[in-house]
Amino acid sequence: MEKTKRWASRLKRNLLGYNLSDGWLYKIAVYVLLIAIAYVFLYPLFRMISMTFMSTIDIINPEIDWIPINPTGLNLVVAWTVLSMPWTLLNSMWYSGVLALAQTFISALTGYAFARYEFKFKNFWFMMVLLSFVIPIPVVLIPRWMMFITAQNITGFKLIGTIFPQLMLAIAGQGIYSAILILIFYNFFKMIPIVLDEAAKIDGASNWQVFYHIILKMSLPTIVTVFLFAFVWNYNETYVTGTFVRTAMKLMPLQLGLFDSIFERMSAPIQGAPGGQFRLNESYKMAATLITMAPMMIMYLFVQKQFVEGIEKTGITGE
Amino acid sequence: MAKKHVKRKSAFKEISNRSGYKFFLPWLIGFLAFTAFPFIYTIYLSFNQVTLTVFGWQATWTGIANYVTALLRNPNYTPALIQFILAEIVYVPVIVTVALILAILMNGDFKFRTLFRIIYFLPVIVISGTVMTQLMDSGNVQIGNVRRVFIFQILESYSPQLADVILFLFNNFAIVLWFSGIPIVLFLNGLQKINPQLHEAAQIDGATGWQILWKITLPIIKPIILVATIFTIVQLGMFPINPVYGMIQTAIFDTVGGLGVASAYAWIYSLAVLVLLGFAFFVLKDRSKDYTAVDIKRLQEENIEKMRKRVRRDQQFKAFMRKVDFKRGKN
Repeated sequence: MEKTKRWASRLKRNLLGYNLSDGWLYKIAVYVLLIAIAYVFLYPLFRMISMTFMSTIDIINPEIDWIPINPTGLNLVVAWTVLSMPWTLLNSMWYSGVLALAQTFISALTGYAFARYEFKFKNFWFMMVLLSFVIPIPVVLIPRWMMFITAQNITGFKLIGTIFPQLMLAIAGQGIYSAILILIFYNFFKMIPIVLDEAAKIDGASNWQVFYHIILKMSLPTIVTVFLFAFVWNYNETYVTGTFVRTAMKLMPLQLGLFDSIFERMSAPIQGAPGGQFRLNESYKMAATLITMAPMMIMYLFVQKQFVEGIEKTGITGE
Repeated sequence: MAKKHVKRKSAFKEISNRSGYKFFLPWLIGFLAFTAFPFIYTIYLSFNQVTLTVFGWQATWTGIANYVTALLRNPNYTPALIQFILAEIVYVPVIVTVALILAILMNGDFKFRTLFRIIYFLPVIVISGTVMTQLMDSGNVQIGNVRRVFIFQILESYSPQLADVILFLFNNFAIVLWFSGIPIVLFLNGLQKINPQLHEAAQIDGATGWQILWKITLPIIKPIILVATIFTIVQLGMFPINPVYGMIQTAIFDTVGGLGVASAYAWIYSLAVLVLLGFAFFVLKDRSKDYTAVDIKRLQEENIEKMRKRVRRDQQFKAFMRKVDFKRGKN
């Protein structure tokens, strides 16, 4: 009797804990919730991957939910061709790489200025940085577009359809999510003790030397984080890119947007593959979507630490 | 003889002030040329008919014609705008709440924390406008069918427009949740900055976890809720959930209506977004004051003064009553 009682109380303590939040029940509930939400997060990706390998018969078959009976890799091959693959990816890589480099550099400069120097109307300009994030892009996009058309007509140098408009915006610190990048740098530079700057200055370093030798070299992890973010955001950007480049250059997400029309145009030459018929169906689209996402996902697998911990530790908001 | 303190800027500081501009200048020029000027210029454009001629851009003043076109003539614009605003109102609270809950659950050390964090952050890496469109078109984001739910059917018969938005929310629930990637990280960052001693102190005083959440954690990260909300509002606008962006882009390349109409579209849209942001700011604004030691002393003194007054009034009243009783007794 005594034994059962003790056993029951121990069980109760283990299940509910001293404080509820260290009992098993609480932990199990948390895990169930986290896993359920993770499932919702990943559901579209699972569906996409499952559909990518479905043959036409599997797609029509209502009994098949997840695992295809006749798995095929043909969808991937077709999507690969329609997206004109290795070249589209290479284009996208250098395009977003160049823009990301420019954005990282200029955000570091601006973040440094805000973190270290006092100048007139500093608070006002800081508000403007935040405002430049909040202003909807279309409002500023129209005059920007007119400017570049005018510049193109005056100089005779082809701008629309090339990287230059966006590169100029990036260099001017007005690229995609530039304000966020500036804030990340600002927060990180604020954490570096100012004593280091002063010590270097007393030893005769100029402002640029301080910036380069002390600040930049110390904040290499943050630079990597910011570059990766800028890279991913530029890679995934379709609105501004769609306006300035349109169809002049083959870039990954843009090509995916045009997938249907390109497929229609190309479906004649690809004929002759098994099955004979090439009608656009979901599995081709999903295969193309998978190909578009894949480079970023693979990169993310390797550098996820830089992504999440970078901003989790430094923060965007600041105090 | 007392030493006179003269406030003087150090030469060192002054020099560094001036060079601050060197670092700041590229952004400043870019901001003025590519954001501040276009922002104002779009207002001007929206009142004009803009055409491209051999001599460059030609603007002809047309008054509010473009706005009339946008709001009254074009049958698609107003519904698209209303759909967008409703979507923001429904999605933003959902996204921010889910992000906050996830962040609170993930705060602290437990097994597989890194794995969960990777999963929740993955959408930020892969999401782009076209990917989202493809996933939504293929119906791969729908989990369950909300139409079967009875309450939803009642709602649908009362307000089809709101029902549409809620239907969209549940049909695209996965994609909507995808927007919570950055807010989760923002919240995690905020939660980690909270001093654990505050929690300990509350626990010693006998507060339950629920009370700690509502009385300590949430008030402290309230500013971050505001930031996350603003971020979500802005971010939602940039994706195909928002039909207005597409319309503006089409209008830019449209040779008939031209850039004037596009500007009017953009401006009405921006006003809507700014109103939403203002609303969010108003709701989530930090109203609590920071109490310093001086404040607390003042408050104490005020309270003591109040109590003294009350006691005095009480005494006066008693004296008065005594007098009355005395008179009555005399009569």
